Amino acid sequence: MGIKVTFVQANGVEKTIENIAAGESMMEVGRFNGVEGILGDCGGSCACATCHVYVDAAWEARTGKPDEVETGTLDMAPDVQPNSRLCCQIRLRDELDGLRVTVAPSF
Amino acid sequence: MEQAQAVSPTAGKCPFTGSGAAALKDASLKDVLAQPNAFYQALRSESPVHFDAKLNMWLVSRYDDIVTVLRDPQTYSDKHGYAAMYANGFFEEFKQILERDGGGFFADAIKDDPPGHTRVRRLLEKAFTAHRVATLEPGITAIIVELIGKLAEKGANGQVVDGVRDFAVPLTIRVICEQLGIAEFNAAKIQQWSGAVTAQISKMQDRDQMRENAALICELQNFIIGEMKARQEQPREDMISDIVHARLDDGSVLEFGEAVSLIRALVIAGNDTTATAIGNLLFVLATRPEVAKTLQESVDDDRLLNRFVEELLRIEPPVRGLAKMTTKEVELGGVKLPAHAHLLVLYASGNDDESQFACPRDFDINRANIARHVAFGVGVHRCVGASLSRMEIKVAAREISRRMADIRLAIPASEIGYLPTVATRSIERLPITFRRR
Repeated sequence: MGIKVTFVQANGVEKTIENIAAGESMMEVGRFNGVEGILGDCGGSCACATCHVYVDAAWEARTGKPDEVETGTLDMAPDVQPNSRLCCQIRLRDELDGLRVTVAPSF
Repeated sequence: MEQAQAVSPTAGKCPFTGSGAAALKDASLKDVLAQPNAFYQALRSESPVHFDAKLNMWLVSRYDDIVTVLRDPQTYSDKHGYAAMYANGFFEEFKQILERDGGGFFADAIKDDPPGHTRVRRLLEKAFTAHRVATLEPGITAIIVELIGKLAEKGANGQVVDGVRDFAVPLTIRVICEQLGIAEFNAAKIQQWSGAVTAQISKMQDRDQMRENAALICELQNFIIGEMKARQEQPREDMISDIVHARLDDGSVLEFGEAVSLIRALVIAGNDTTATAIGNLLFVLATRPEVAKTLQESVDDDRLLNRFVEELLRIEPPVRGLAKMTTKEVELGGVKLPAHAHLLVLYASGNDDESQFACPRDFDINRANIARHVAFGVGVHRCVGASLSRMEIKVAAREISRRMADIRLAIPASEIGYLPTVATRSIERLPITFRRR
């Protein structure tokens, strides 16, 4: 059984994706499943800030905080909040089964 | 027009007022290439998707239309837009020269459309992650400090130096050669090769120039093929080895021609546009004291410095415009385009669009939407080397600010010449004086 995650899109519609293999990034999952607002232009290189999400409070401790490089890229994005992450930098593992994030307003 | 765009103190006034519709009708190409912003503004307000009979291309100038095009690579093909531009009018002869003297004609793998493009794109993305580039900062700093030292020796006592040829160009060539693993190189030759390749999308090359440039590209390819062969037998810890021995995500390997085209693209894209950006940086510092002051105030804060670089890329993007081609009839910005319409997407105009960036000629590092600029493009062809480019510009800005003071143009701004190309806005020579700090 794989991992399940939920994206809340900017229009309020939720998209839940199941049976994800560990090791994929949250950006890849969002992009390949057509989640609105997850563009991932740089392909996960932490260079473009087009996969910006807000991590639900219950999950923040487990996803962790952005490192220095991610913070630098994130700073360029609009509407940054304390729970902002670039989801290309969230690699899914069993511990993140059930992860819920909200997609930041369109880049 | 020149004064409004480039020269302080009129620069930075808001709202910017260009010469409006007159710029569309009366502008000479040379003037537009030097000072394009009034022309862009006229396009955006008068004719945002504009057929230019001289170029035989549609100019796309509004931010939203540019993003629409770049987000839809199936409708707006990069591959066909590029091919229609390449060696403009002399393609067959160009191809024959390369086949005869340059080891072959190798189409640019990076300019393919998806899904073919996706295969090679993944490979390059891994090489240029922001995290990997962050580890290169000390090495890049050492190169830049050394170059500024040389510049300062030359520039002592107010002697004129060339900010492009003595600094920006050797800097970016050294960085990319180090990455690729090219230990011995002639920077002047690599600059010539770069010019020869980029001239193929300039739209401004005549037949004699094409033949000269084709001969230079043959030299470049023969050089690359030699470097590849050395690593086929003996792999090394460098990017050429990585490409020669790459296994892609789908399990396939790169074909020989794909590998040559990728290394060629890395040599050229790895130095040309970043050198242009660093030349622009020096020009802006020499002509806009308020920007030099902003840099000084930002230099010890990485966050502010990153924003400074981003705003520099927005206000003076190295790339003016790149080509696309419609694959079907489509409406863009209220204009019906036929299939096979050849578009010049004006990234530089998108960055200057007042509907997206308030007071676009103001240099403002506090813009909330600072990263929304399109200097690196948008979508699947977004510049894969963006992190490396940003790092080189950031370190250059930091070390220039710490080590050089009173940077001034040694000739009037109106005499600064730009390369004859629609693709980039590149200063040819930048005579400056400065004081060592």
